[in-house]
Amino acid sequence: MEIIKKNITLVLGMSIPILMILFVAGSIYLPGLFVKPPSINFLYSSVDSGDYYCGDIQQYSVQNGQLIKNEIKHPEKGIYMCDEPKLFIQDVVKNESKQISFDEAKKLNLDNSVMSSDGFEVVYGSRGEGFFPFFFYSSTNYDTRYLKGHNISKKLNIQLNGVYSYSFHFIGWIKN
Amino acid sequence: MATKEEVLQYIKTLAEQKIITKEDIDTAYEAGSGVKTNIVLNKKLSIANILYYIGGGIVFLGISILIYQNWSTFNFVTKVLATLGSGIVAYFIGLLFSRDERTETASPAFYLIFALVAPIGLYVVFDNAGFDVGSYGLQSLISGIVFSACLLSYIILRKNIFALFSIIFGTWLFFSLTSFIVNDSPYLNDSDFYQYRIFLTGLSYILLGYEFSKSERAPLSGFLYGFGILGFLGAALSLGGWKPEQNIFWELIFPVLVFGTLFLSVSIKSKAFLTWGTLFLMAYILKITSEYFSSGLGWPLALVIAGLSMIGVGYMSISIKNKYLSSPS
Repeated sequence: MEIIKKNITLVLGMSIPILMILFVAGSIYLPGLFVKPPSINFLYSSVDSGDYYCGDIQQYSVQNGQLIKNEIKHPEKGIYMCDEPKLFIQDVVKNESKQISFDEAKKLNLDNSVMSSDGFEVVYGSRGEGFFPFFFYSSTNYDTRYLKGHNISKKLNIQLNGVYSYSFHFIGWIKN
Repeated sequence: MATKEEVLQYIKTLAEQKIITKEDIDTAYEAGSGVKTNIVLNKKLSIANILYYIGGGIVFLGISILIYQNWSTFNFVTKVLATLGSGIVAYFIGLLFSRDERTETASPAFYLIFALVAPIGLYVVFDNAGFDVGSYGLQSLISGIVFSACLLSYIILRKNIFALFSIIFGTWLFFSLTSFIVNDSPYLNDSDFYQYRIFLTGLSYILLGYEFSKSERAPLSGFLYGFGILGFLGAALSLGGWKPEQNIFWELIFPVLVFGTLFLSVSIKSKAFLTWGTLFLMAYILKITSEYFSSGLGWPLALVIAGLSMIGVGYMSISIKNKYLSSPS
């Protein structure tokens, strides 16, 4: 105790980074222990294409709680050979995707709100890049999706088939 | 028990009568405090020492260029020998040199080569093993290894160069480990997170610099004060943001931090504090003027006010420097 008192500035100087590391780790992992994890599954589409144009097409949408297929009018100029997007149910508890057909998906009761009824939303991850001492570069990570809410986030294992991660489109939360 | 003033007065009397010398007082102080003052505290880098370090830096540059130019032609063993191998050899040469009083002054140059080359050697090893060398996980591992090596060397050998590299590699470990923990989480991973880390690193450097200034590691305190206050004030100013997305808390607290820095520059006798404090006060005046007063008063008038304020800040800074920080000659 006497040594600590004598070298208080040294102790403080060395404990600041250690406390910051503990704080960061705590703020990432601790909230998950106290918050009820997400439980509402959602439906999404993903197109198997390397073409940006194809990946950007919103083939499906929700109308009156039901999935509908939109008619896509391709521009006259250019030839676009876009596959039909595949539909997936994301089981958020098991954190895995299961492909379903359009007919199966039509039977689902969907809610296309951004936020689920249990307070989560699907967002992009973020990415910090760089090499010491330049870690400042921070940007959206389009290759990852997270469920975010109540100060916790959960990385989603989703099917991103296209070269461009824009191929992912959230459609709606599945209501029981 | 005599008071401090009485003791000092008595020493003054004895010195006037040439009964005791400065060395006697230093020896008595060292025996009591356990800190060697005169020898180490006042040790300045001589030309020879500077040349040693420059030589070490050039050796590092040579090894880096050699590896860069022959990356595709060198095999794994050659790459490891040229980097990690030469780093380890340099470390042992430094050890050998430090055992002899005649060559001891050259030993830090070899420790410098070790500290600069060893991380590259580790990168070569991990790259060959198939790891993603850009990932924060691997950066944490490499910085952790070199940090531990330098810290351990410092504890055993008590060389300032190892203290310096322990701090540098410790900082690298801190940044890469926190980035690794956050990963690509949508929470925390933004520029503010980076600024907060710089702010706290700066504060940590300042505290370490203050502690070192009282010991045999005093030569490091200038480096720590300089980079510490730069990071501390730079991050605080940056956290204030810009209208309309400004952070009022940081904008209001910043002048308190700057004036605290200027005040501290006198008590800890740091020119780095005074210089950076003055520059950041000027930057703050310009920022606040252009953010809040350029539209109401008009840009030209705002510039006049900012300019006059900066002249005032400059005058204050020079006055403080002349009055408190210039060595009497």
